[in-house]
Amino acid sequence: MKRSIPFEIFRYAMILVAMTVTLIPILWMMSMAFKPIAEWSATGADLTWWPKDPTLSNFQFVFGESTNNLIVALDRNALKPILSSLLSAVFGTAIAMSAGTAAAYGLSRFGSGQNLPLALIQLRLFPPMAVMIPVMIMWAFLNFTDSWWGLSLVYGIVTLPFAFWLMKTFFDDVPREIEEAALVEGCSRLRVFTRITLPMMRAPLASAALFVFILNWSDYLIALLLTTREWVTIPVYMASLSSSMTGQLYGAKAALGLIAAVPPVIMGIAIQRHLVRGLTFGALKQ
Amino acid sequence: MSAVTATISEGEMDAARAKPALRNEGARLGFRLTLPAQILVLFISAFPLLMQLYISVTDWSPLSGTGWWNAWSMWNSFANYTDLAADTRFWSALKRTAIVMVVCVPAEFLLGLALATLFADEFPGKRIFYSILLMPMMVVPAVAGYMFFMLFQSGGPVNDILSSLTGHPVTIAWLSDPTLALIAVMVADIWQWTPLMFLILLAGLVGVPEDQIKAATLLGANPWQRFATIVLPKMKTIIIIALAIRVIENFKIFDTLYIMTGGGPGVATETISVYIYKLTTQDLIWGYVAAIALAILIVLSIAAVFAMKRMARTRELVA
Repeated sequence: MKRSIPFEIFRYAMILVAMTVTLIPILWMMSMAFKPIAEWSATGADLTWWPKDPTLSNFQFVFGESTNNLIVALDRNALKPILSSLLSAVFGTAIAMSAGTAAAYGLSRFGSGQNLPLALIQLRLFPPMAVMIPVMIMWAFLNFTDSWWGLSLVYGIVTLPFAFWLMKTFFDDVPREIEEAALVEGCSRLRVFTRITLPMMRAPLASAALFVFILNWSDYLIALLLTTREWVTIPVYMASLSSSMTGQLYGAKAALGLIAAVPPVIMGIAIQRHLVRGLTFGALKQ
Repeated sequence: MSAVTATISEGEMDAARAKPALRNEGARLGFRLTLPAQILVLFISAFPLLMQLYISVTDWSPLSGTGWWNAWSMWNSFANYTDLAADTRFWSALKRTAIVMVVCVPAEFLLGLALATLFADEFPGKRIFYSILLMPMMVVPAVAGYMFFMLFQSGGPVNDILSSLTGHPVTIAWLSDPTLALIAVMVADIWQWTPLMFLILLAGLVGVPEDQIKAATLLGANPWQRFATIVLPKMKTIIIIALAIRVIENFKIFDTLYIMTGGGPGVATETISVYIYKLTTQDLIWGYVAAIALAILIVLSIAAVFAMKRMARTRELVA
């Protein structure tokens, strides 16, 4: 299509505006994370947009070393919340991906489990808050509360719809000729699935897993309800960071926020192509 | 089955007999493959729902000193449900959830559509701009909530920008004013989810056949006519899906909002999820919470049936 110069100018101007609005909150947090206490606690006229005196002290602080006598060192550092976030997100992803991939193949090739697509979308429809009471009761009964495996199991179920739908659209797209050829060669159906189809699907599997991981890693509400102290995740821990001396610990929170924000942003950019499919339950193919 | 097939040599085995055998093997494998997912779904839906139903007709709470299985001793018939009808805090939370939805979803849609239109064709730098513009939706919502909490402080960057724009110091206490706090949480929601609209709508826009647009151009249609008569009708299903996703997700709004304001000041930003959360963790009246949650689930299920029929039809159209 032909381009007119005024349109191009308009386009870049609009994109510039959108980029500014998009980036200000992110850059502000990055800047806060590297500011020393005198700068992150400044307000109004003293506000500095860029750290004048960049420091890693906020990161040191969240990992248990206080470099400023205004703030007492934390009685526990952020290592455990980070580990907790990581463990529950990784195992949740493993549960969702293994159950989801198997079910997606079952439905895509053999038509088993016709009820699953609907049931899984419905699972996604309800506000988590509205179904958490029975889960909290069950988890207390099973002694799963405040454990990373208890959290993993809920994450696995909550993100199962995405794993299932993504994998189903991927399986539907794979031509069956190769599988049929292997069947003729005498492979069993299961062997075809594990030895032929799955290895072929390595790239789609990886993007689906990253996608599910981002969703698990992003949770705040479920961790807030199902953990109390031992295995709180990064967002829950972040929200609790404050000191009696200075109130909100902006710098430390920003440092922790940055640690939580970086992995999903990088993974998200890596799997951009599959985001539409994932988020629309495959209703839109790209 | 295997004994039968084993007695027939390969040459004699005809296709008609081989197929049912293979089909059976497939059916069995298919069943086994879907089993784990079925169990997980059942685990999180059927049993919890029954438990919720049971608790919702009692006064049971975790502090009542007895296990939930003994909740029947606190049977209160349907008092929880009749209380719900008279609970003004519930209805105002519902109203607030609706206000947020009515403002945020159209705003995200229009901004997303505008961006998607700008990105519909190739231009230098497209890829990098696209990646940056999608970033907000990948930021952990709780972290986004904290970002906006910092931005909207009375001595924070938003007021700083306003100060330099207006020329005199602005010190608006965004998060402690009832109306402004609601606006602030809506700004955060729009910031985070406009990229999703942009992403979905751009995927749809790229799918509009270019030759039709070219034909319309040759026939003398102006850009607006092309958009209204070709692009928009082609994108109808995609637009419905995008709006449906945001309506559903926006109804659940919690993380960002709760970190920013905790539902406050007072109850000024208390949405349904925040209200239920507070009842669950602070008031601890779980029997009542179960009743509220069930009422919401029933209303949503009815809405879901309609939406699902629509989705099923669109899937057929797209496929």
